[in-house]
Amino acid sequence: MTAVDLAPDHKTGLTLANPVMPAAGCFGFGTQYARLVEVEALGAVVVGPLTVRPRQGAEPPRTVPIPGGVLLHTGLANPGIAAAVRRYARTWARSPVPVIVHVAGTSPAEAASGCQRLWSVEAVAAIELGLPDTADPDEASAIVQAAHTVARQPLIVRLPLAWADALCEAAIEAGADALTVAAPPRGTAWHAPTGRFVTGRLYGPFVLPLALRALRRVAELVPVPLIGCGGIHSAEDARAFLHAGAAAIQVDGALWRDPAGLARIARDLSPTPSF
Amino acid sequence: MIQTGALVTDVALSGPFVRATFAVPAIASRLAAGRFVLADLGEYLRTPLFPAWLETASFDVLVPPHHPAAALHSGTTVDLIGPLGQGFEVPAAARRLLLVASTAHLPALLPLIQQKPGFSVALLLAASTAADLYPIRLLPPALEVHAVTADGSAGHRGAPLDLFPDLARWADCVCIADDPATYPALAELVREVRMEQGRRFAQALVAPPLACGVGACQGCAVEVARGTQLACTDGPVFDLLELR
Repeated sequence: MTAVDLAPDHKTGLTLANPVMPAAGCFGFGTQYARLVEVEALGAVVVGPLTVRPRQGAEPPRTVPIPGGVLLHTGLANPGIAAAVRRYARTWARSPVPVIVHVAGTSPAEAASGCQRLWSVEAVAAIELGLPDTADPDEASAIVQAAHTVARQPLIVRLPLAWADALCEAAIEAGADALTVAAPPRGTAWHAPTGRFVTGRLYGPFVLPLALRALRRVAELVPVPLIGCGGIHSAEDARAFLHAGAAAIQVDGALWRDPAGLARIARDLSPTPSF
Repeated sequence: MIQTGALVTDVALSGPFVRATFAVPAIASRLAAGRFVLADLGEYLRTPLFPAWLETASFDVLVPPHHPAAALHSGTTVDLIGPLGQGFEVPAAARRLLLVASTAHLPALLPLIQQKPGFSVALLLAASTAADLYPIRLLPPALEVHAVTADGSAGHRGAPLDLFPDLARWADCVCIADDPATYPALAELVREVRMEQGRRFAQALVAPPLACGVGACQGCAVEVARGTQLACTDGPVFDLLELR
């Protein structure tokens, strides 16, 4: 399988042996899938999301099955970057593939602080910065610039699905080395047992056409490495993103149903057949 | 935990449930009451299955007829991930075990009836009417069953809470599987009738929908006294008195 460099203009680069990795929010912090995912077969792993301060996360219910998929609202539950580094940095250092840490860039200050705290963590090969779903180009630019100023590692910016094409140029101009297209879309589901509406991220095959459309649009606009993400459940799905201009892909909700499938997708992509 | 195929060796009606037997030595030998597997039954998310009977190389589940596992056939192979979670912990010194369940939730407690000899086990079993009650003839004769129906068509007429205080005084360990909405009232009664509750005197199963089952997605939060825990890795069995 062909190696890919997701940060060719960065001093350290970010070279992956193959283009397959799990998506942020799906893989945990590095230890949870240790017995179920053949990590050495992947190109990289993406852990987190992490925030500067620990977050308890959203009140239950957080998971609402919907037809053909699931809605998940975690409220960014995580131990905070400092605690995560204490607990998991040794695991990351032992990883046979590069470890990319996803930092939730809720504000310029949060993004800068998050990247600063990861500056000296050798085991972190790159930072994936998540933008708020509501960010406009100015806000996106401010967040990415704040992160870029202090980040030692290559900076990947994950774009909101609905605004991927509107934000991609601002993210690149502010210093992103690569872009993930895109974060899972948001939706609302009725949770009958509690009589409440739950708003959260949507996972399922139905996301794929939306993410693929966004990626093709972004590929027309910016000349940086792109990571396709959204509803990928098979090597065929992954190939569609690669043919649309992605240099790599992330598998999200499919990981939960078939952890072993992640390595299978990586193997099935080699050698990459042409359409 | 592992991800592996399990052979379905038997599927048959059992009272109001369908019993399916999974032959999978690598998982069955490490399953226990309250622990679970995630089965790929064709839905987007895997389906949690709780063992109702355990053997060294296989386990049974009891599911309602509309459950996806009820449509399985003998000879098919199902992809399982497991064993997962923290199950019921009956203290070694316990001798009087009280099980509390509605019929729909009873299967998850049934492996506790397989406890070692010397245990006295009582079951407080609730249903709305006699027709919905799990057939007592299908339960082991040594089990002391206290049936409760809302309409009085079988056993005590009323609610499980009516009989629970006396049984909780008798027991030295209580294991509960029911609608979590009933748990606050049960916890209150435990506090009232037991001067010394002890850690894990009363344990309750909480099973929200699960996405990953391994603590990666953070999607199965359960609120407890110490904050938020995950049903898949910290539970799904929790100390009743710590649940919020």
